[in-house]
Amino acid sequence: MKPLKIGVSGVRGVIGETFTPELVVGFAQAFGTYLGPGRILVCRDTRPSGPMVASAVMAGLLATGCDVVDLGICPTPSLQLAVRWLGADGGISITAGHNPTQWNALKFVRQDGLYLTPGQVEELLDIYHQGRFEKATWDVMRTRVERSEAIPHHLDVLEARFDLGAANSRRLKVAVDCCNGSCSLLAPRWLAKLGCEVLAINDDPSSPFPHTPEPKPETAVQVRALVKAGRADVGLVHDADGERLGLVDELGRALSEEVTLALATDIALRQRVGPVVTNVSTTMAIDRIASRYGATVVRTPVGQAYISEAILEHCAVIGGEGNGSVAVPRVQASHDSAAATGLLLCHLAESGAPLSALVDALPQLTMLKEHVAIEPNVIYSALQEFRDAVQDEAGTSVDLSDGVKVAFSDGWVHVRASNTESMIRLIVEADTPSRAADLMDWGRDRLRR
Amino acid sequence: MRAILTLKISISGVRGVVGDSLTPDLLTRFSQAFGTYVGSGRVVIGRDTRTSGEMVRQAVVSGLLSAGCRIVDAGVCPTPTVQLLVRKFRAAGGIAITASHNPPEWNALKFVGSDALFLSGARGRELLDIYHQGEYSKARSPRIRNVETMPGALDLHIAAVLEALGPLPAGRRRPKVVLDACNGAGSVVGPRLLEALGADVVGINTTPDGRFPRPAEPTPENLKALCAAVRDHRADIGFAQDMDADRLAIVSEAGEPIGEERTLVLAVEHVLRGTPGPVVANLSTTHALEPVARRYGCAVYRTPVGEANVTEGMHRHRAVIGGEGNGGVIYPRINYARDSLVGMGLILHLLADSGKTVSELVTALPALEIVKIQFPFPSQRLGEVFRKARREYADLPMDLRDGVKVMLPDAWFLLRGSNTEPVLRVVAEATSEEAARGLAEKVRDRVTEWLA
Repeated sequence: MKPLKIGVSGVRGVIGETFTPELVVGFAQAFGTYLGPGRILVCRDTRPSGPMVASAVMAGLLATGCDVVDLGICPTPSLQLAVRWLGADGGISITAGHNPTQWNALKFVRQDGLYLTPGQVEELLDIYHQGRFEKATWDVMRTRVERSEAIPHHLDVLEARFDLGAANSRRLKVAVDCCNGSCSLLAPRWLAKLGCEVLAINDDPSSPFPHTPEPKPETAVQVRALVKAGRADVGLVHDADGERLGLVDELGRALSEEVTLALATDIALRQRVGPVVTNVSTTMAIDRIASRYGATVVRTPVGQAYISEAILEHCAVIGGEGNGSVAVPRVQASHDSAAATGLLLCHLAESGAPLSALVDALPQLTMLKEHVAIEPNVIYSALQEFRDAVQDEAGTSVDLSDGVKVAFSDGWVHVRASNTESMIRLIVEADTPSRAADLMDWGRDRLRR
Repeated sequence: MRAILTLKISISGVRGVVGDSLTPDLLTRFSQAFGTYVGSGRVVIGRDTRTSGEMVRQAVVSGLLSAGCRIVDAGVCPTPTVQLLVRKFRAAGGIAITASHNPPEWNALKFVGSDALFLSGARGRELLDIYHQGEYSKARSPRIRNVETMPGALDLHIAAVLEALGPLPAGRRRPKVVLDACNGAGSVVGPRLLEALGADVVGINTTPDGRFPRPAEPTPENLKALCAAVRDHRADIGFAQDMDADRLAIVSEAGEPIGEERTLVLAVEHVLRGTPGPVVANLSTTHALEPVARRYGCAVYRTPVGEANVTEGMHRHRAVIGGEGNGGVIYPRINYARDSLVGMGLILHLLADSGKTVSELVTALPALEIVKIQFPFPSQRLGEVFRKARREYADLPMDLRDGVKVMLPDAWFLLRGSNTEPVLRVVAEATSEEAARGLAEKVRDRVTEWLA
């Protein structure tokens, strides 16, 4: 089966295989038709296929009569802020986020800067499949303009939303790995504004990804070394487009990507108590932290669109997912690694505590993740069989809002289809490593049955 | 009559109406087919100023990059600039984004091979086969390339013209020229070239915004503003270009259009005076060429219509100059392409060398007038019309290489379908305009009778 995923996270495929210019042109025309002729912002991350995909996107948008504002290489959250700032009608971010370099994708952003909701993506798909796109005639056809202010504007917004006083006087030393992605143009500048001494690596957007752009302990090797060698207070690892953030503490320990949101939740709730939004497969440390402050946790299906909607609906003080994504609602209701950086560093500077102490004070749990590659046509029947197998298990409760999540008194097992690749993900969490391993065995047995 | 289609896919490229048949999907597929055909090398692209230009350009860029090509983007430039750059950079090919003289709702891709000539005949058919088969080369991610912009493209073209022709002779009065670039690609380079040659330039319609101030075809009825400007400024000559600056028309110092056909005749006169040799023109170009060539003891060879056919003929006969009667001058010392910049240079040198005015030069040419009429016509009935014409004029000399051309005593006419639009063209030439128009109309009426 060929790698192509069309769903709630947009359209995603492999360059040279499924992700062809025709496909991209078609989706861009569908998007232009869906929004009606208007002004659309377009940005991309630093993948080699970016210019090819961007040209196809812009050709499709122009053909439907849209006005194209080309932001060039720019993080997705910067585009999302710029959509509102420039009064645009929507945006397309060309990035496959954390996927390896041969992938690329379109992420669709609507007028308010948020991702299209699953319902809206379905409407877009209907237009795509019908293939009857708006066609602008020569006399109303618009053109493309280049603008480079999206990142400066993002920096202005961040500066206005955080109190930089403490950070500027503390002068934290921060090691940052931008993965040669679009954060290369944002993160070092934001850290400088935060008064940090910046040790940047992989901050050249014209170079290839030095490692998979997925912030997790395995990809933090370089930044760990940098933290130790440079005696930095914090190490940061970015994905390709500025949504996910991985952390390394001052001892050089790479923290699980689940810790990013847990830490952000702890900091946000110290500042103001309010609802916390996360997805069903994120660590239960979030619930334990929230209960310390008497806050509620709202769980959504997996995907940024759901998180953003719930943040707005519940007036949440923090949101995000266990993959390292954090949304700081005072900046925007979308995942934004620069906003997460601001939240963390301002708190570190104010409290004076080392990062390791903050991390050690979090609930200590063990999470294990596995995935099973599976033919796309049998994914849903495999999930159905799993659900049948676990339905009547004693002492559990089953949540079906996204895949199948089985909660035990001392842990949980979550089985779901990936939004972005053809695989089933198995995630378990428990208080101890041995119990987590037991739960993984339990889940794997029932999935394979 | 059936509906007239707005898409022409032929060996001379793909041409259609924006907002209708010329979709980004079609354009990107064609570009992928071209990238596949030329084998992932370097490809030069350029466009005229049409409002759809940026959309088409983006579709072309994505298709070529996907096929693994490296792109050299010359931006807004004349079509001959694309051809010149293909040769200069030894590129694998080029794509000129322009519908030339077609109305503003049209746009097109013209494909250039590695020899800097438009694809024609067998090569055009091979490209079409790849397009229809739909299996295009796809570069994998790290091997996919980027676009290289080429800001000095126009300077290179100007330098090439100056190098071949030299500046106008020093010490004489600088000629005063009015240039009407139709707000097309000529706007960005025409005035600079004329100044570099040593002329004083007044530009009209030189805002490169793709808003057509007049129909793009530089035919006499479309040049009223230019004629008035030549008179107002007491200029020595007026030049008019089409959107992609391959064609050139001339207005005399009296403010009179001399007729597009005479652009090539005057250019031939100037070139043969210095370097006698074979001349090649298509078979719908004025027969005034033959007497002019004979003065210098040179031969004229005729080819089917289309730049590709003419350049092929020029190669075969080692021509020193060639072109088409629509104002397309091809001067191989610079470029095997119809090039209005070269045309302007040759004509200004002719004026300087001869010391004559445009009117005086025109008066000295053979007294022949050409009339062209065209009307919408479904391509599927062309064969029928040609068959009837062959039968009707069977006892006269005929040239059947492109439509039907019939030689009469002191006159000739040609009946052919357009390569670029769904229209039928009738071209007639005789010793007076009246006689030529009478002949063309007679033929048109016969066609209408045959179809009834």
